[in-house]
Amino acid sequence: MSPPVVANGKSLGRALVWGIPLLVWAALPFIATRHIVDLLVFAGLYTIAGLGVAFLLGQCGIVSLAQSVFYGIGAYSTAWFCLHKGLPSPVGMAAGIALSTGIAAVVGWPVLRLSGHFLALATLALGVIGQVLFLEWDWLTGGTLGIGGIPRIAPFGFAFDTPLRFYFLVWPIALLLLVLHHNLLHSRNGLALRAMRDSPEAAAVLGVDIHKLKVQMFVLSAALGSAAGSLFAHYVTFVSVDSFAIDRAINFLLLAVLGGVYTVWGPVLGALFITVLPQWLSRLGDIHAFVFAAALIAAVILLPEGFGGAIRNWWRARAAR
Amino acid sequence: MTMPNESADALLQVAGVSHSFGGLHVLRGVDFSVPAGSLTALIGPNGAGKSTLFNIISGFLPPQRGTVRFDGRDITREAVQTRTRAGLLRTFQTPKVFAKLSVRENLMIGCHRHLSSGVTGNMLRSGRSRAEVEMMRAQAAEAGERFGLQEVMERPAGQVPAGKQRLVELARGCVSRPRLLMLDEPSSGLNTTEIGQLRELLQRLSREGITILLVSHDMHLVDVASRVHVLCFGSIIASGSMAQIKEDDRVRKAYLGV
Repeated sequence: MSPPVVANGKSLGRALVWGIPLLVWAALPFIATRHIVDLLVFAGLYTIAGLGVAFLLGQCGIVSLAQSVFYGIGAYSTAWFCLHKGLPSPVGMAAGIALSTGIAAVVGWPVLRLSGHFLALATLALGVIGQVLFLEWDWLTGGTLGIGGIPRIAPFGFAFDTPLRFYFLVWPIALLLLVLHHNLLHSRNGLALRAMRDSPEAAAVLGVDIHKLKVQMFVLSAALGSAAGSLFAHYVTFVSVDSFAIDRAINFLLLAVLGGVYTVWGPVLGALFITVLPQWLSRLGDIHAFVFAAALIAAVILLPEGFGGAIRNWWRARAAR
Repeated sequence: MTMPNESADALLQVAGVSHSFGGLHVLRGVDFSVPAGSLTALIGPNGAGKSTLFNIISGFLPPQRGTVRFDGRDITREAVQTRTRAGLLRTFQTPKVFAKLSVRENLMIGCHRHLSSGVTGNMLRSGRSRAEVEMMRAQAAEAGERFGLQEVMERPAGQVPAGKQRLVELARGCVSRPRLLMLDEPSSGLNTTEIGQLRELLQRLSREGITILLVSHDMHLVDVASRVHVLCFGSIIASGSMAQIKEDDRVRKAYLGV
């Protein structure tokens, strides 16, 4: 009779692993302050954009510092189409994604022939060019003054106009994208990506078109960045060039590295870390920036595979016992 | 001793291939062919140009002169993956397994060239995408059994012994069902027993219809080849059966040292 008991125990364990975080997620916005819920919304937005950076790094070995550009394109497209043209939110988001993926494909095709530090520098250059253009093309972006009054997402008259409401919009979208990413990793092309990461020559020999796959992933990453940017514009209703500077791209990369690029849900942990922790530490006063920096360094040194990798390794070791 | 009109039924045809690194002429107008269904070996002393020739045939290095034709088609300038899709597949002198992937996943990816689902379909778990994964799993299980890898199927390939890694690479290549399998020093790192098993395996694959081009300096292994080409200082100096090669004065002098 023991096997069914073990099976039930495993099922219970699995239910708890999924059930408890789900319950916490659902209950959190009702017990947390409005400010914390606001931060959690940003964590959701950063999860979406950071997911794109994480899988580029984890599966393709591409360090992308260009995500702020696609984040900005998504936000400005939403501002332009929804505010100036009065079109519905999905149109603004779709336009941003179309523009971002088009740029990613055109730029990515030549740039992704580079590798290592050269590729990282090329993406940094793209990030810097984007930042300069967002600033200089003030007829389009509003420059440092920005664009205000962007309409909220309001399907069927229900406006996502509070942190609480937006929380229940952005996180299901993030979760859906994580599931899609999980599906990709466990498919033919996902295997090819992981193989390419381990040995590009052997992957090519088995028929994997490495360059094409890298470009496809760069395009996918741009789409995620753009979608996050559109949601960001709808949430804060104001966009300015400061939100799409190169430090934003570094933040996306940071959250990917901290969360762990080899696990699907690593970006969630990374996004929570970089949004919630600094605010929580701010109660320490002037020293909080120093403490946060120390926590960052400790996390990078002690958890080379990020929070996600550390939890996964612990879980596997526990299962093996 | 070159065989007459051997290119008539050639699956692979190398013609006039030359390559230099700086002032060093590594290959000097190499001509040879691999008939369909044969088990052909390419041998030669160290520095003969075997690896350079292998890299040129498999697409890792473009030749400075000459052509490579596969099944009658000029593939000299085609990318590695394009050659693979045509059915030409190579292994490496040091086995290149996907170290972090399990042995099962290594074998699964062998099917890649026969599959066609796209990234969007994969993300949405389309019917084709799911069917492909099932097919990959089935092929991997079959290859695992056939190559005696059942016990290590779930282990990361980078953590299995070197001899097994060689088998994983070979099994992965066979899952791909190549028309021409090119093996680069497949016996290096194997013990005598394993080399014996490799001989039997190569003979079996050959009987199953896979054309094999073997680069090796292991005479015990090369014995399985029906045809042997000897490369020396960038030129083919002899071609024929192993018995004929052993009797060739130039080969004895240049390679066998007798």
